[in-house]
This record gives sequence, structure tokens and C-alpha cells, in this order.
Amino acid sequence: MNTLETLQDILIGEFSLTRERVAPDAELAALGVDSLDLLELMFKIEDRYKLAIRDDVPHDLTTVADVVRFIDRLVAAQPQAPGPGGADRHAAT
Amino acid sequence: MSGRRVAVTGLGVVAPLGDSVEELCANLLAGRSGIRRLDIPLAEALRSPIGASAGFRGDAHFPAPRLRMLDRVSQMALVAAAQAVADANLNFGTENRDRCGVSVGSGMGGAETTDEGYHIIYAERSDRVKPYTVLASMTNAAASWIGIDYGMTGPNLTYSTACSSGAVAVGEAARRIQSGDVDVMLAGGAEAPLTFGVLRAWEAMRTVASPDPQDPSASCRPFARNRTGLVLGEGAAFVALEEWNHAMARGARIHAELTGYGLTTDTAHITRPTAAGQAAAMRAALNSAGLDPGAVDYVNAHGTATLQNDAVETAAIKEVFGARAYALPVSSTKSMHGHLLGAAGALEFVIAIASMERGIVPPTMHLDLRDPDCDLDYVPERARTGVNLKAVMSNSFAFGGTNAVLIAEAFGARR
Repeated sequence: MNTLETLQDILIGEFSLTRERVAPDAELAALGVDSLDLLELMFKIEDRYKLAIRDDVPHDLTTVADVVRFIDRLVAAQPQAPGPGGADRHAAT
Repeated sequence: MSGRRVAVTGLGVVAPLGDSVEELCANLLAGRSGIRRLDIPLAEALRSPIGASAGFRGDAHFPAPRLRMLDRVSQMALVAAAQAVADANLNFGTENRDRCGVSVGSGMGGAETTDEGYHIIYAERSDRVKPYTVLASMTNAAASWIGIDYGMTGPNLTYSTACSSGAVAVGEAARRIQSGDVDVMLAGGAEAPLTFGVLRAWEAMRTVASPDPQDPSASCRPFARNRTGLVLGEGAAFVALEEWNHAMARGARIHAELTGYGLTTDTAHITRPTAAGQAAAMRAALNSAGLDPGAVDYVNAHGTATLQNDAVETAAIKEVFGARAYALPVSSTKSMHGHLLGAAGALEFVIAIASMERGIVPPTMHLDLRDPDCDLDYVPERARTGVNLKAVMSNSFAFGGTNAVLIAEAFGARR
């Protein structure tokens, strides 16, 4: 599953949305996802991609595609392939 | 009260005994208790794992994204307020919303969110505190959301005076209408304290009832010799208050007139009530209504079932009503719906009004063993029907000492 599909699945599940509505060019605000929701969303992204990103979420993520690009950039910047990494400190959750 | 008159035109409840005033009244009339063994995480670690939970489910009223922003206390407040708005048939689209406000009482605000946040930080040792934690747990969240939902741009106030918060919120809202600042107020209380952290803290104070081994639902026994303490409950209750002529002009149905509000403070100790302070609050309410004690037909007591409260409140009622105290029906509906803390005063005011409208006096349940210090007519065990009530009083007292008393009179009791 690619990043877009993963993010779409999370959005559909968490925000009661349909697949048609979460197209790449859909604006987060129009989907009812505000800046605080996006931060909470990042917890799930962290788990999925073994990232630790909470302090780095930029303010200019406005569309679904923006978030996809952001995640892909972080994954690419990881020192190694997804595995035990930055998310370890949340193992208890 | 002097000045402009205040009509109660809408009632709404989300409570342990019903999600509507009708259902609540039917259960009170039948003497049913909403107190039960709690099914919450870690309940087995509680000494007294009982409470009066509401059947309320947030997901039946709000979509998932909205639910994430709302603590249970705000969910219940929004639904109870919406009931009051619908019952009053108010349309804020046609109101001058600068002259409409919100007044909410809550003791603990978004306690579930706070509890959950602490669990994440201290138990899970995680830094994943939910981004909405502050906005969901702040005590004024419920009032804020109600104001946002209806676009009410007048005062938006939250009162936190522990167990009298709801009564204070209603009384202060009435004052604002009387003073001419506003024409419409949604006023009430909300509390959602049935989480492990909150229950454990109340247990630590030694004021919580021991579960009745045979029947947990009978654990709250106000005024009884074998009373052992209060039982926490959750819920929300709201009234729509309206300036009298405003209500008449739009042909609103008027449930009652809010005529009396008395407010005093006990300063003996943060937990210790005094008969003098409570009596002074009742007298202040009577004075503001311009009523003699003899005019009151029913008192919905604070009646927490703690050893101290019930004896002190009984003494205070005798002080105010004299010999007539013995002929005055005084009941504690907390025996059935538990102690809703910051919502209690609002819920019990709604119950007092609904009882007056229906000509019923709800009972004090589980009162088979009389306490010599509590010797009034507590309407034990059975509701009374076919009773003509023209004026009702609702008492709310609190840790911290804020004593608040509300009086409502039947529509048509004065013209």
C-alpha cells in the first residue's frame, strides 16, 4: 500500500469520509481536518512508518497530497528502512 | 426578584434516569434508581465501584470528527441544551443574538479528558497527549460549544462552585435577564465524573457511600439512619430562560416563572456546612421572590446522603420554615439519580419544575430507617400524585461553601 492509500484509509476511518472525498487535491479544511486533528493524525502516521515527527509538522500542509509528500520526505530521510526506530519511545502505546 | 420577570420556557436533560424530561419524571415517579455497579476500566480497584451513569452515547449524537473535540461533559451538555432549545421552540436565527447568552455550571469540566491525558503521560510514559486535551478539558468548554452551536454572542459564562455550580449558573443567568443585559439565556449544568481518577479521589475523602451488598441501586440513602455517603452521577440539565414579555410576545409555552434566587457562603471550613448559612440562602431566595415561607409547597433538598449534610440541611429547613417544616414535603431525588456535582443544581431545578407541572412530588428512596436528627416529611419510598404545587424550592450546597437556592412558581401563580 502506498503512502496515499495509507493516508486515505486513515482519513476515511477517523473522519467518517468516503474514498471519493479524500482525493489527493482535497483540502484538509474542507474534509473537516483542522490543524489539531492533523497533529493527532500524525500519531497514526508515526506508528505506520516508524517515525517521530510531532514537532516537525509544517503549517502549510493544506491538501491530502501535501501530507503525502511530507510523509514521503520524512521516510526518505530516515537513516534506514522502516524498522525499529524513532517510534520506539512510544512502544507502550 | 425585582425588575424584569424570568420565564422558564424550555427544559432539557441527559441524566441517569432518562435522556428526556418525560422519561426522567416517569422513573422518578416509579422510584427507580439509576445507581448501579460501574463497568469502567479499573473499577475492580475501587472500594465503592458504584455510580449513576447515564445511558447516553455520544456517537449517537455526534459524528466521529466532532466527538474527538468533545469531552463527555460537553457532549451531554450540548444534547441537553438542544433539548431545552427545541422544547422552548427558540429560533436563534430570528433572535438578536447579542442579547442571548449561555451560563453553565460544572465542577470538574472535562474530567475524562484530563484523566486520559494523565494516563498517557504518567502511566504510559508517552508524550502523545491528544492535541485537543486543553480544549476538551477546560471547564468552560461545554458553555463555549453551546454558544458556538447557536451563535449566541452575548455573555458566555461558566461557574464552578462545586456541587452548587448548576444552581448558581441558573440563578446568575436569571439575574442577567432581570437586569436587562440579555433577553434569553441557556442555563444549566453538566458533569461527567465517572472515571477512575475522579472516583478514586472522591473515595479518598471518605464521603462516598458503601455499596449496598444486596442491592447496589439502593446505596444512596438520604436522611436515613443508615446513610453512608453520596453516590456520584453524571449528566447535564438545561433550562431556557427568557424575559417574560419576550416569551409572551412569541407565544412561548411557559413551564414556570423563576422568581427566587438566594446565594450565601459558609466560611466555617471548606467542607463543613452550617445550618445558618443554608437557612440564610433559603431566606434570601424567599426574599427575592417576595414569598413567605408558607408559600413553598415542595423543597427538592440538596440531600446528599452524607452524615453531615442531611442533618444540617434538616436543621436549616426547620430554621426557615418553623413549625410548618414538618408539613412541607422535602425530598432528595439524589437517592435515585445520584449526585451530579456541578450538574446537580440544574437537574434538580428541572425536576422541581417538572414535578410542579405534573402535580407530583418525587420520593426520597431507600429511607426505611429513620434518623432522629432527620425528622421531616421526606416523602419516603413513594411518590405523591395529584398534588397542587404553586411554588417549589431547590437547594444546592457545596464544598467551598457556596449555598444556592432557586425558587420557581407555577405559570399563572402570579399575573
